[in-house]
Amino acid sequence: MIGVEYYVLLSMAVFCIGLVGVLTRRNALTFLMSVELMLNAANINLIAFAFYHGNLTGQVFALFTMALAAAEVAVGLGIILVLYRNFRDVDVTVPTTMRW
Amino acid sequence: MAIYELPEWTALGPALILAVTALALFAFDSISPRSTNRQLLAGTAVAGSLTSLGVAVWFTVAGVGTPTADGGNGVIDPTHGFVVDQLALYFMIIVAVVTALIVVASYDYLVDHAYQAEYYSLVILAATGMSLMAAADSLVTILIALELASLPSYALVAILKDNRGSVEAGLKYFLIGSLSSAIFIYGISLVYGATGHLELAAIAEVVSGETEAGSGHDITEMGGLLGLGILMLIGGFAFKTASVPFHFWAPEAYEGAPAPISAFLSSASKAAGFVVLFRVFTEAFPLGEIGAVIGFDWTVAFIVLAIVTMTLGNFAAATQDSVKRMLAYSSIGHAGYALIGLAGLTADGGELVMGAAMMHLLVYGFMNTGAFLFVALAEHWGVGRTFEDYNGLAAQAPVACAAMAVFMFSLAGIPPFGGFFSKYFLFVGALEAATASTAMLVVAAVLVINSALSLYYYSRLVKAIWIEDPPATRDRLAQPTGLYAAIIVAAVMTIVILPGFGPVVDAALDAAGAVVG
Repeated sequence: MIGVEYYVLLSMAVFCIGLVGVLTRRNALTFLMSVELMLNAANINLIAFAFYHGNLTGQVFALFTMALAAAEVAVGLGIILVLYRNFRDVDVTVPTTMRW
Repeated sequence: MAIYELPEWTALGPALILAVTALALFAFDSISPRSTNRQLLAGTAVAGSLTSLGVAVWFTVAGVGTPTADGGNGVIDPTHGFVVDQLALYFMIIVAVVTALIVVASYDYLVDHAYQAEYYSLVILAATGMSLMAAADSLVTILIALELASLPSYALVAILKDNRGSVEAGLKYFLIGSLSSAIFIYGISLVYGATGHLELAAIAEVVSGETEAGSGHDITEMGGLLGLGILMLIGGFAFKTASVPFHFWAPEAYEGAPAPISAFLSSASKAAGFVVLFRVFTEAFPLGEIGAVIGFDWTVAFIVLAIVTMTLGNFAAATQDSVKRMLAYSSIGHAGYALIGLAGLTADGGELVMGAAMMHLLVYGFMNTGAFLFVALAEHWGVGRTFEDYNGLAAQAPVACAAMAVFMFSLAGIPPFGGFFSKYFLFVGALEAATASTAMLVVAAVLVINSALSLYYYSRLVKAIWIEDPPATRDRLAQPTGLYAAIIVAAVMTIVILPGFGPVVDAALDAAGAVVG
């Protein structure tokens, strides 16, 4: 049997890959994919720990997380679409009508 | 004993009424898409939010959620994962009040807007999420309620589809929101990993060692995991309450969004974020026991966050030229004031300081909403965005400008208004907590310094409106009924809350007592 700590290491690696993607990529769609990676890292954790603790709470919560991720992408793609219509680009650094 | 008793699920009434209203608006939109029957749409939304407000006030007065001598009306657990107590009802009232004000004001703001039904249903849907956040008692329901509040908000900020500022604001709000919710969910998974539970009460039992974690391991072995999870949860809440370190979105989103939506996000959404923050940290991670498990008390984190948030918000606000952006930064500063409510907690007390934070959020619900609605009125007039553009408005619209002066002085904490009392209680509460930890003395000092600084930029706006001369070329200003009504109600409440402060104090202290001690 694989120990739970390996699953945590895997999920932390996936989470960090997602985080690096969020911080370095300028394309809004890549940003969304990176956030999906971070959410799925949480899902790996939840399912591994549900197995470890022997209760189903974590697995059911992972299902909720997937549904939320889908809803979030739906709203996000809508916003990226109007972004493209207004700025002719999906680069997140292009819209700078407001400054600090 | 009551003659008849309502079934337990009705305790969630205030939130359910909002949900039904949102669905009714959606149904109307699918029957008659592109309808511009503004009276019916706005009327339904106003009726829904006022009913929700009425029910929440009724439940509070009837003592739902407070234990009585005959054993009735204890804390109600209507369905698994929700709890209705005085804390939940108190914040349901704030959410419903702000929603009602916003909806009334939007009636005029949206005159020529193409998507009326969508706008109102999204507002009410977000309000449903905020209302449910107040009652959520498990990390699952907290997350779902939080997303139910967030997702419509992203769409609302970007609802002016052809306005570049609005789209940019929506994008930035969405990007930072999705990032912080990913961090939040990862934090939940770590807390679940350490404790094996998602209900707040069950987590607390594991943390205090009353029960074993699901797998039978010792909780102290998992201290690092739990501590990291708690820090990530703080990140998620910081986004929702617009506090450091996830405050970047606030100035952009508030400036670009339609002004009524800025008011909604900075008042109701912030209050909803704080109620979850209060509930999670007081119920799931009890002070005193948590320190032994994760190696530090979370009050330390909140002391730092409160000081940084207050200072950053107020100093940045002082340097702004745009009125809306100034209000956005001041809203960050006020999040810092409310964070004192958690920073000042101790293992065996802190009701006063937390109750003061709750009072501040209620008063803030009126004065900040009113201030943003005045900006909405200025946008409706088309006078411009900067302080100079507001010059001499009082000569043309004295009533609205008098209301704005009330909001500004109340936000600054000048004695005759509601904002003074909540800040005073915060100060007293912080000093009381200073007997346990000297760091609270610093917090209290920073609170006073920042309040003094904030007087500078608030009075700068009042000076522009009342003392400067108006530009010669400005047209006559219209008097839209809905916006005026909402602004005046907010101003009257900011003043009336003063003689009526006794019940507010009692309600806030009851609400704080529900989770502390």
